[in-house]
Amino acid sequence: MITAARNYIRFLLRCSRIAFVGDWRYYAWMGILTLFCLVGLNAYCKQFAYGLVTTGMSDEVSWGVYIANFTFLVGVAAAAVMMVIPVYIYDNEELHDLVIFGELLAVAAIFMCLAFVTVDLGRPDRFWHLLPGIGQLNFPSSMLSWDVLVLNGYLLLNVHICGYLLYTRYQGRKPAKWFYIPFVFIAIFWAISIHTVTAFLYVGLGGRPFWNAAIVGPRFLASAFTAGPALIILALQVIRRVTSYFISDKALLTLRSIVQVSMIINVFLLMCEVFKEFYSGNLHVISSKYLYFGLHGYHALVPWIWTAITFNLTAMVLLLLPVSRSLRWLNVSCCLAIVGIWIEKGMGLVIPGFIPTPLGAVIEYFPSLNESLICFGIWAFGMLCYTIFLRMAVPILQGKLLKSNEDEAGALGVICK
Amino acid sequence: MKPDPKIRAVHFVLAAVFALLAAYFFFSTSTAVPSRAKIDLVDKSFLNTATWRKSYADLVREKEDLSDFDCYGCHEKGTPPTLRFDADQKLIIPSEHKDIVMGHGTHGRNNNCFNCHNENNLEVLSARDGREIKFSESPKLCGSCHGPTYRDWEAGVHGRTSGYWDRSKGPIDRKLCVNCHDPHSPHFPGRKPAPGPHPLRDQPVAHIELESHP
Amino acid sequence: MSTPENQPNGEPETPGMSRRSFLRNSAVFATGLAAMAASLRPLFETTDFPSSEQFLQKYYKELNPEEMQKVLTRIEGEVERQYGIRPHVRDYKPMDGVEYVYCLNLTRCIGCRKCVHACVAENNQSRDPEIQYIRVLRMPHGSLDIEKAEHNYAPEQVPEKGYFYMPVQCQQCHNPPCVKVCPVHATWQETDGITVVDYNWCIGCRYCEAACPYWARRFNFTKPSIPKDRINPEMSYLGNRPRMKGVMEKCHFCIQRTRAGRYPACLEVCPAGARKFGNILDPESEVSRILKTKRVFIQLKEEMGTSPRFFYYFDV
Repeated sequence: MITAARNYIRFLLRCSRIAFVGDWRYYAWMGILTLFCLVGLNAYCKQFAYGLVTTGMSDEVSWGVYIANFTFLVGVAAAAVMMVIPVYIYDNEELHDLVIFGELLAVAAIFMCLAFVTVDLGRPDRFWHLLPGIGQLNFPSSMLSWDVLVLNGYLLLNVHICGYLLYTRYQGRKPAKWFYIPFVFIAIFWAISIHTVTAFLYVGLGGRPFWNAAIVGPRFLASAFTAGPALIILALQVIRRVTSYFISDKALLTLRSIVQVSMIINVFLLMCEVFKEFYSGNLHVISSKYLYFGLHGYHALVPWIWTAITFNLTAMVLLLLPVSRSLRWLNVSCCLAIVGIWIEKGMGLVIPGFIPTPLGAVIEYFPSLNESLICFGIWAFGMLCYTIFLRMAVPILQGKLLKSNEDEAGALGVICK
Repeated sequence: MKPDPKIRAVHFVLAAVFALLAAYFFFSTSTAVPSRAKIDLVDKSFLNTATWRKSYADLVREKEDLSDFDCYGCHEKGTPPTLRFDADQKLIIPSEHKDIVMGHGTHGRNNNCFNCHNENNLEVLSARDGREIKFSESPKLCGSCHGPTYRDWEAGVHGRTSGYWDRSKGPIDRKLCVNCHDPHSPHFPGRKPAPGPHPLRDQPVAHIELESHP
Repeated sequence: MSTPENQPNGEPETPGMSRRSFLRNSAVFATGLAAMAASLRPLFETTDFPSSEQFLQKYYKELNPEEMQKVLTRIEGEVERQYGIRPHVRDYKPMDGVEYVYCLNLTRCIGCRKCVHACVAENNQSRDPEIQYIRVLRMPHGSLDIEKAEHNYAPEQVPEKGYFYMPVQCQQCHNPPCVKVCPVHATWQETDGITVVDYNWCIGCRYCEAACPYWARRFNFTKPSIPKDRINPEMSYLGNRPRMKGVMEKCHFCIQRTRAGRYPACLEVCPAGARKFGNILDPESEVSRILKTKRVFIQLKEEMGTSPRFFYYFDV
């Protein structure tokens, strides 16, 4: 028992040490990310001291980029499961190890989600009120309480699966199927649930007709399963470039087909939404009017939404054409899809729900500098986490970081690549 | 060591940047709180709960000047005052009562002082059926024509009620008709509204007026 | 796979790092840590860091009377330190057999906004940033379409011809969406119908503000500022005690007045007598009479299913 614990601690120590070792590009990358993190941390301290008045939010638009990013990132986290399905259900061996990269991305994304929600709180010091049993978690009535539970549960699931698979690989033994396969299947359903619960945060609000529509849930999932695998496609190519880990083009093309189908569904659902909003001409269309065409002289979001639609349509067309089999065009369409969906879920969903207010007033929202610095800081933190995870995972998967070469590594346990 | 100079350079730059950043954080005084236009405190007159008129009963209770109600200080007892009308049948207000503006009913419908005042006893009011009504009970007079409103007023539904909704804890303070309505010109007066809201993020974008102008 | 060019790591093949590279690494480490420590500096500018009692305070419904009294005394001390006046902070319990209803006569409201400011004065709302529970809407004749409402009317005289005025505040719904969505039960509805907020329990997530169909809830984006000479010292825990940065607040039917049997401040100041308030369970109250005798009354956004306790009606 004690030996097992000691071994595990040594494993963790080796992993953390290796995070500080790399080539000059690694240090430069980590340095820049740390810079953004620190600036974001400083900005958050100012927000903590002075309140949310340092953001651009108001009583009229009471959720902004924090919740927008949170919504987008829950989708990314959920989409990691999209890699799991082909591997475990369709027995696609190509993607086998890559599942871990996807799940590590999910872990980083969940960290970012939790960070975004925390910085959005007016009283983060009262977080303990959310703890079930200790606080007063309003489960099952409040969808936010569901979100608290499912997000943390998803985090634990993924940490367990990745941690177990990596540790067993490190130890050089085969992982016991019963200790991870059931969790993998639970994770598939759980991933769908985290994003559905997040969608229901919005759908359940009858007072906001822009959100109170059944299509929001399916749209969330469709856009998540477009943006998530697109991000993974890009991330895998970066891994291919900076490490010597082998990733076949076939794996990337499998992911491409997921992005392809999801984007088609996403665009179809967009068309359904647009028809429903504008054809009947009833008064509930007012938020959509603001978003697509402007309202009473206020039109801050109009260029954003049309950019997003253009990006999404272009990405869809590119993905349908065989030209996107070439990595260059695949990357272009992935970038377009990610940016388009980010805009759609952020500015295209969260903000218009507040404009006009339920009493008809229009007050627009612009994120403040401080707010933006905090967002960049959290994104940088997420990328920092993901880079560290990969810096630990890749050598393990390559067989370079092993229990058996613990002693070779020397006093500081640093392994040379 | 081939890669070494590059790493050295990167480390050096990073250390310098972090040091500068630490200095900046330490010495910077910006709070990130946006500057807002000062909002003036509302004029205390808007917080005043008093009625704009005082009834006869209020004046008596507060021991105020009742000379306005001393009719026989000028008029002769036993002699009903004469009313004079101009060519359009409009009542001519004598100069002694010049601060009375007649406006009770449109199209001159209620153009006769003695519709409400008792010409034989100026110190009381009288209803159309001849009943005498004391000044302190003037709502009865109003109610003799304005039935539905009077019924609502009696129930507390029309007019101002203040004090205690829970009568077991304290009294209700009923305002009389004349506290809000000038009996000679009862139309409820307009007034200047208190200032509108100051949203946290007010934008100077020109707000296009809504189409609904009558 | 592992050619010398591919080696990203500049460390020597021999085990252990060289002393120089270790120092280099430490320099980055040290300056990085210094930058992190310095970045936390604004935290020291926090003027309202919660004390341990505030941090650990239990949920309102879990406080027994002695604990509640301690909390009230603590709050009185906090208010005195901040504003220089010793207030009376009480915890009013709901009365039995009472359910409040508010009726508003749209024929009589002249849009003077005195109710807005009387509420601000009574309930110690922040003047800067401005928090006002009541919003008076100017509506054109013939329409209840909220999109046609004007919030910023400022004519020389009200009422203006061709418009009517509709003040909107928390409707204390029977089926409140805000209560449903609060993740920590910081807002709930009491037995007399008032939806209240425990300001010391709210985490400031603003989900309730998003959920409210009447835009009735307000958030403290920064520390509220109340002029010392305009503080109302008669306070209640769930009502008009000064709130803090980062929590929600809203109209609570002047809980410190109504639970003592008095009318709310907005009603007291209304010059036209347009506001009526009382106990719907009492058949002799004004509000019961209104709901029995007036033919049309409107509950705003009735189709939301919120079943508000606020009824708008017309006389003529």
